[in-house]
Amino acid sequence: MIQLNNLTKSFTTKTGKGFKKETKTVNAVNDVSFECKPGRIFSLLGANGAGKTTTLRMIAGIINPTSGTAIVDGINISEGSDQVKKRIGFLTGSTGLYERLNPDETIDFFGKLYQLSDAALKERKEYLFEKLGINEFRKKRMGQMSTGMKQKVSIARTLIHDPEVLIFDEPTSGLDVITAESIIELIRESKTDNKTVIFSSHIMSEVDLLCDDLAIINKGSIIYNDSFENFKRDMKAPNLTQEFINRVKEA
Amino acid sequence: MKELIIIIKKELTELLRDKKTLINSIVLPMLLLPILMFGGIKVMDMIEKNNRAKSLKIGLVNAPQEFVQILKSDTLNKLTNYDESIDFKTLIDDETIQTAIVFPKKFEMQMDSLESSSVQVIRNGSKESINRRFSRMLDVYGNSLKNTRMEQLQISTEKLTPFHTNYVEVGEQKEIIGKSVGGFIPYIFILTMWGGCLLAGIDLVTGEKERKTIETTLSLPISKFKVLFGKTIVASLLGFIPALLNLVGLIIGLKFIDDIPDTFKETLTEMLSFQSITMILLLLLPLSLFLAGVIIALVAGASTFKEAQSKAAPLMFLLIIPLVLALMPGVEFTWATVFIPILNIGLGVKEIVAGTIDMGMYVAMLASLIAIAVAAIYFSYKKFADENAILN
Repeated sequence: MIQLNNLTKSFTTKTGKGFKKETKTVNAVNDVSFECKPGRIFSLLGANGAGKTTTLRMIAGIINPTSGTAIVDGINISEGSDQVKKRIGFLTGSTGLYERLNPDETIDFFGKLYQLSDAALKERKEYLFEKLGINEFRKKRMGQMSTGMKQKVSIARTLIHDPEVLIFDEPTSGLDVITAESIIELIRESKTDNKTVIFSSHIMSEVDLLCDDLAIINKGSIIYNDSFENFKRDMKAPNLTQEFINRVKEA
Repeated sequence: MKELIIIIKKELTELLRDKKTLINSIVLPMLLLPILMFGGIKVMDMIEKNNRAKSLKIGLVNAPQEFVQILKSDTLNKLTNYDESIDFKTLIDDETIQTAIVFPKKFEMQMDSLESSSVQVIRNGSKESINRRFSRMLDVYGNSLKNTRMEQLQISTEKLTPFHTNYVEVGEQKEIIGKSVGGFIPYIFILTMWGGCLLAGIDLVTGEKERKTIETTLSLPISKFKVLFGKTIVASLLGFIPALLNLVGLIIGLKFIDDIPDTFKETLTEMLSFQSITMILLLLLPLSLFLAGVIIALVAGASTFKEAQSKAAPLMFLLIIPLVLALMPGVEFTWATVFIPILNIGLGVKEIVAGTIDMGMYVAMLASLIAIAVAAIYFSYKKFADENAILN
């Protein structure tokens, strides 16, 4: 379960020439509240720069919120972000892997930091490598792999500790359809396993395939938050993409 | 602690698999000093041999016969007599001659009447080896004239030498060489260390941003401080190891290069005893942590390798200036300089290799270096924890 209450994130930047500096504070995320339930897929929709990544990074404990609370699997992120991170699997389309390590070393590194026992790590790694077809290139360095191979290792890295909460930030961005399909499949399986799943996207076909609940974020604020069923029922536009665009423009 | 070791192991594995880092941090430092020592000796030897084999083209005006004979005794000298009015500057510029000497017409008469005369040497000051060779021949002639006069005047050499100075050296050879050569040792170590820390620091922070793995690293279930501390330790190791290998290279060079004069070799070997090496390395440990911390703090906001280099490069001047100061005469290792970073190492290493270090001051210097290393790590943590900077 993920529960956000009035989550806000401000960034302060300094601009100016010479000795004259100006400090500017921007709210990247402003008073965001929503809830993601186990066994359901929550989609966070928004245009580029709307605040999706910042929101997900706060939930994942990568950055700290300026105000508000986020409770992930019963733990408040501001009180125990390392504990929260142990319960989360975080995957993005643009996140890289350590190029000079091979899949074996990468997964061992993550598994050890997630404090899995040697036996549990070995068992889970072998299961994921078999399932994702990583065995044939498990000793190859990441820098020498194709995008598809890397994405498989990324998935294994995300799932090695069998997290209760899965966060996907534009997970299929820049991937070919075959690789993207493996991610879609992973999200579906996570739902079947009763995990809490949140994913951000602006690809409406993916949303249509996966989504149970959704929120639309625009300029850092939530402008819509309901079930996908209700969203579709209330649609005025002929398709999802147009409806999304209209709602963002109206906000 | 276990998590820190996992981070260090992973970062070291990654760095040592990078050919660039491997060559710069392991191969080059190990070979640098033996190559410099061996190459330097060979090059100096070659230059000296070449100079000795070169002919010296000398222009003469009114040269006395005795001087001409001295010049002719070296068969490599090529002599040409000129008229007084010739433009020697043009002749030297177009390399017809390399130097010229103009004696006054009345020179021999002046010598006979025991008067003082004046000769004009026309030369190019930048041709050091030529000028040195010619000056030697002129000195021989001058001394010969002086001796002739003393004989004529029946003055013994003793009468013109009121006293002889006999220096009794109480300083050990080790101390003398240590204080002069010792100042250069920190140069080699600190600059090598700087190079290693810089390359590793940039790769571990900016490199992660470029390879888009920083978000992956920050999503790890460990604190940012542990991630940063692990990176700082690895960057400092990649600075410390080359410095250590420099030392190994120096010792290997001393053992296996034959052309180094024996007395110099023995003194250097004595200076680099187990005790002095341990004392130097103990100083280099906190220094490498300090450098790694400062470099990471400086490059934390950079998003490309080039930007990181331009941010960190000016720091090198802050290292060189105290090292240059440490070589200046009159700048001593005192309680006033013991707490000035880098300068204290520059001066302290001189005292260590000379065997004259005050242990109280050594401990104070070590403590001050540990303190600035802690401050640098804290500073780098503040920068690394800055979300604006690290995630751009």
